Amino acid sequence: MTNPATLPMRVLWDAFFWTYERATWQYDVMVIAILAFVWLTPPSWLADPMASGHGAIGWILTLLNAD
Amino acid sequence: MTFTGLIGRICMFPLRLIINTCVALRIHPNVLTFMGVLINIAAAFELARGHFIRGGVIMVVANIFDFIDGKVAVESNAVSAFGAFWDSVIDRFSDIALFLGLIYLYSHLGRTDYVMVAAIAMMFAIMTSYTRARAESLIKKCKVGFMERPERIVLFMIGAFTNRMAAVLWVIGVLSVFTVADRIIYTYRELRSTEQAIA
Repeated sequence: MTNPATLPMRVLWDAFFWTYERATWQYDVMVIAILAFVWLTPPSWLADPMASGHGAIGWILTLLNAD
Repeated sequence: MTFTGLIGRICMFPLRLIINTCVALRIHPNVLTFMGVLINIAAAFELARGHFIRGGVIMVVANIFDFIDGKVAVESNAVSAFGAFWDSVIDRFSDIALFLGLIYLYSHLGRTDYVMVAAIAMMFAIMTSYTRARAESLIKKCKVGFMERPERIVLFMIGAFTNRMAAVLWVIGVLSVFTVADRIIYTYRELRSTEQAIA
């Protein structure tokens, strides 16, 4: 069994040293993480020259600040 | 079945029809490859003008050609060593064209920071292919690392259709650096284990 202390390091290493095939659950997780970054990050955080709007995180922050 | 596997299966239905049509019309796969790069250059022009949606639509068409050329070659018994070489060379031109379109756009907007992001992403995208090609002249297979061409192209389309190209360039850039590093590490390990086995 994997030592719980080393598990986060193992996950990070596996994400960095990528050996998984397409259409595996690990691939799906990576795709979801990438899409989350692309769609949720407010364009202003990246100083995007073309995008407009606040993105999903910006929208949530605006809602929270309004309360 | 996984989420990405399901999407792949759904996309195969219309592609199957196009592949069958190309085989029936006896279109040579090398011609399809060349048409792919020409259409990708048109997509790059649209990206350079900041027309992302139009660029995205043209990219979809271009990459249908890129995707089906190998399948058409197999099904029409036109597989050749030159065809594989031609395909990989032309694919690099297609990659570079799209990045150049974005570099032109960002330089036109006076955004040197994103000119650099796009240029570095382009450099590592090309190095991703080069490291694999060079590694496979020394070892049997070097298919490690996440950011390969299909991932890159799909990300370009997502960036174009949803107007999130900056985020996409960061993802392509960072993951391409990792992919190149993966391939260097993998090749080093493989060559070292071969040397140790001989010794």
